[in-house]
Amino acid sequence: MSKKVNKKDIAQLLKEWSQQFNVLAPSRASGVAEMTEWDGKDTSFLEWYRNTVVPPKASFLPPMEEMFRFRKDEEGYRIEPPSKNGQKQLLFGVRPCDARAMAIVDMTFEDAYKDPYYLEKRRNAVLVGMGCTNPCESCFCTSMGTTPTDSTNVDLMLIDIGDYFLIEEVTAKGKELLAKASGLKEATKSDEAEAEKSKETSYNKVTRKLDTTGIKDRLLESFDDEEFWTKTAAKCISCGICTLLCPTCYCFDINDEMVKGEGARFRNWDSCGFPLYTKMPMENPRSEKWRRVRQKVCHKYEFYPMAFDVIACTGCGRCIRLCPVNWDITQVIESVPQKVKGAK
Amino acid sequence: MEQKLRQEAKALLEQKKIDWIIGFEAGSLKFTTTPLITKDAADTERLVINPFITNNLASFLTEMKGRVAIVAKGCESRSIVSLIQDNKVAREDLVILGVPCPGIIDLAKIERLVGKERDELDDISRDGDKVSVKVNGKKKDFTASDVLFDHCLACELPTPQEYDILLGEERKPSPELKVSGQNIAALKELTSTERWASWEKELSRCIRCYACRNVCPACFCQRCFVEETEPQWVMPMPRWQDNLIFQIIRNIHVAGRCTDCGECERVCPVNIPLRSLTREMYDIVDELFKFKSGMDKDALPLMVHYEQEEAEDLFR
Repeated sequence: MSKKVNKKDIAQLLKEWSQQFNVLAPSRASGVAEMTEWDGKDTSFLEWYRNTVVPPKASFLPPMEEMFRFRKDEEGYRIEPPSKNGQKQLLFGVRPCDARAMAIVDMTFEDAYKDPYYLEKRRNAVLVGMGCTNPCESCFCTSMGTTPTDSTNVDLMLIDIGDYFLIEEVTAKGKELLAKASGLKEATKSDEAEAEKSKETSYNKVTRKLDTTGIKDRLLESFDDEEFWTKTAAKCISCGICTLLCPTCYCFDINDEMVKGEGARFRNWDSCGFPLYTKMPMENPRSEKWRRVRQKVCHKYEFYPMAFDVIACTGCGRCIRLCPVNWDITQVIESVPQKVKGAK
Repeated sequence: MEQKLRQEAKALLEQKKIDWIIGFEAGSLKFTTTPLITKDAADTERLVINPFITNNLASFLTEMKGRVAIVAKGCESRSIVSLIQDNKVAREDLVILGVPCPGIIDLAKIERLVGKERDELDDISRDGDKVSVKVNGKKKDFTASDVLFDHCLACELPTPQEYDILLGEERKPSPELKVSGQNIAALKELTSTERWASWEKELSRCIRCYACRNVCPACFCQRCFVEETEPQWVMPMPRWQDNLIFQIIRNIHVAGRCTDCGECERVCPVNIPLRSLTREMYDIVDELFKFKSGMDKDALPLMVHYEQEEAEDLFR
């Protein structure tokens, strides 16, 4: 039988977990909805939280991060390796779309090159998922291989059943977390039934649908269709919102900063939407806007499927909600032409 | 107004008087519109004018090639005029389709007032000075001034001064302009130390997406100073200090060009009250130089010329 927790006891649960983890929970204290270090009392997110604006990737790939420090003396540069962070993060309330996004980003960071900065934080972390009861108009997760209550990519999953959350134990890590937690109750058969009902209701609330059948091939065939891409890109303003705040976008830039012989190497979020992203001394292969828009779309829906057999989009809808010009990825994907084989 | 716009736009394209039309069409989300940029006369059927035409379409002009017809509210017309003053677009390449504008609805204000997010609302309708919002089947009424954008409440030019075709009845500015948004008034109450702390907090959220710069019609540099690497004026890392430098320099660069259209603040994904900076600069420009950007296409651009009597002793 599963366990359940009264919503009033969430603060107690987080307090207990805070002893062992750096607990992060949804908060608007900074002025924008994001996962923030829990302040020890605030559970108001249970009222307002639909999803964060800043995706939880920021906890593993921060907007900026010091990679190492260096010092220059008579003998040359001395590098001070980064101190092992060792911080164990517990992200409370992660949405299934974002949890899936983390699993998708993992594929890149643990591929041929193992990224120690990302992986250390990621492997030390625990994700406590929370099913959505009120998906946004822009959400389309059910078309992208997940659901508003999918527990696949988290350690524990909370399903809203009214005054309580039913807790699904997903991984051994999650099990261990629960074993030590106090204040939990055994869920009853009717709680389980209620959870199933809740899942179905949430699922049906995701009304935006996207048919991705054959999208990889359609994009491959349309790669040189400049007319299509120019039209698609016309209203894009080349800002970085849809990429920087995308839970599956992971591009970063590296910068050195040195003052008086001492400095540090940083990395920070970067976006293929920026012309500077591909600027090289002699040329820029993506100086035109349509090429950058094409890159963004193809990376998610063509190149990622080619490399990892999964579309790098989880339907979280942020890029649609936050876009200054309402450039809508679902409309774009649907409009990619179906070319007749062999035709020019 | 909408019907007239569609007819005019269609005729202009069919008669090959223009190569492009830039207007608005219905967006993919509730209460949202999206820029429509097209060469195709058939697309003009989709053009709309409603209380949600938020974007400042003038920002697209500098990247267009050929003759362009553009739907312009008062604020857009000011941006267009400012671009003409700076020689960034030629008046003869434009057909300005003027829209007398009663102000645009700020969905964020409605969200705060009704405690629901925009996609949870059933309906928003406007009748003159009354805006009705339907939530869970219940209707709530607001006066327009409670739900319009701050910059609309300060609008000095609801009807474009510069246009080729005016699509509706001329509207006069409101007799009581509220130049300051909530934030500006609050900021002015603070001591400079408190204000510094406030900006540190606000700018700590900046992720350097550059949406504020990219939606801005006045930000037309081909290469922005933030992208210069030799010398590097500002680091690309989103540290609050670098973010502050970015905003301050951007603000100085658009002084005398900013028309207070409010787009920078509207598009910021992390809610930085950027208009508090730009409006302050707008007022300073007005106070020091008696200059309002985008009001007179024959006036010389403020920052590229100077009058003898303006010169300080150092230059005299």
